[in-house]
Amino acid sequence: MASLRDIRKHIASVKSIKQITYAMKMVAAARIKRAQNSILASRPFAVEMDRLIADLYCELGEDDLAGTPARELFCERPLGGTRCLVLVTADKGLCGSFNTNLLKAAAGWLKEHRGQKICAVAVGRKGRDFLKRLKGLDLEIVHEMVGIFPKVGYMHAQLLSEAVLKLYRERPVGKVTLIYNEFKSMMAQRIVSDQLLPLKAHILGCGTTGRAADFAFEPGKAELLNSLLPRHIAAQFYRTLLESQAAELAARMSAMESASKNATELIEGLTLKMNKTRQAMITTELNEIVSGSEALGG
Amino acid sequence: MEKKRLLLTIVTPEKTVLSDKPVDFVTIPAAGGEMGVLPGHAPQVAQLREGMMHYRDGHHKEVFAVLNGFAEIYRDKVLVLAEAAELAKEVSEERARQALQKAKDTLAMRGADLDLDEANAALRRAAVRLKVAEFRKKHKL
Repeated sequence: MASLRDIRKHIASVKSIKQITYAMKMVAAARIKRAQNSILASRPFAVEMDRLIADLYCELGEDDLAGTPARELFCERPLGGTRCLVLVTADKGLCGSFNTNLLKAAAGWLKEHRGQKICAVAVGRKGRDFLKRLKGLDLEIVHEMVGIFPKVGYMHAQLLSEAVLKLYRERPVGKVTLIYNEFKSMMAQRIVSDQLLPLKAHILGCGTTGRAADFAFEPGKAELLNSLLPRHIAAQFYRTLLESQAAELAARMSAMESASKNATELIEGLTLKMNKTRQAMITTELNEIVSGSEALGG
Repeated sequence: MEKKRLLLTIVTPEKTVLSDKPVDFVTIPAAGGEMGVLPGHAPQVAQLREGMMHYRDGHHKEVFAVLNGFAEIYRDKVLVLAEAAELAKEVSEERARQALQKAKDTLAMRGADLDLDEANAALRRAAVRLKVAEFRKKHKL
């Protein structure tokens, strides 16, 4: 049986763990509000951007597009060769199954595309370490981005999109897939695996806006589209990063909350055990004293 | 008859700076040169370069620093999509210069636990700020 001192030590350590988990929970709770706000704030830009691109695309004829870099981004490419994976994970652990699930999904994806050359772009320390550990795959980490959470800015998204676009231009990458956690609610995250490039034409729902205005364009339409598309991709990355950030914080919050709860329960049980031990010790001591005095005095 | 006015909206990825604000006159730093917009302007889409954007609302004037982006003018609505937009008076040249220097130093050191992306992002932000600040000084705004 554990001695009184051992139990006391155990209680003290559980208590300090509880303090830490509780503090982490509070930090995550405070940050999540901000993260949610920045998701909301990024929406108008993305919506207007999509509308502008759709308008522009509808104004353009096929021949305007032919041979421009913008065309490249829409074209389907042969799928035989290289694939690209953009994996967005967290930098730190202690957020429940957030990273584990992501890495599982990524491993599944990698298994599916076994035998193909894979270019990986890792965002977040956990994902990078996971990809580095992998062996026996034709995998190359082209770009990595660590330490950006929880202060994601548009700049990060821009750097990321530049890296991916460069990769897409220079290598025969068939498809760029994006795997990340979507912020569904405070309690749940959902793993999303999305095709990023080539761009799907459905973002260009023609005629949705229904305005037949004769826009004047400065500079030309094709050039405009060329410079719009990278920004569209950056905006998409920005949204992804923000979603992942909010999801990470939510996951951490609930994980830390249950950790704190568990610690409380553990402390309760240990306290009970400690009291019982103490009681037992007192009883034994009393017993000894009484029996001792009886033996002496008779 | 009420005077026609423009509705100005400025959005950046990080926040909505202005939303449907009625103004009298806007100038936009378009790719081909400064462009003034008055109510009744023809529909137009223009690419922006970094520069200053002015608008006038009665006697009240305001200057914004905008970075690469796009502007759409349609039916007296001016929509500016910029990568960043700041009130010009909020940009301080001294601070921008310091930030730029700091970012350069961090990049130059290349320490073991260097956060390269963060440093790169900071460097860019600072460079842009500085540009804005210098531009402002040149034009004595």
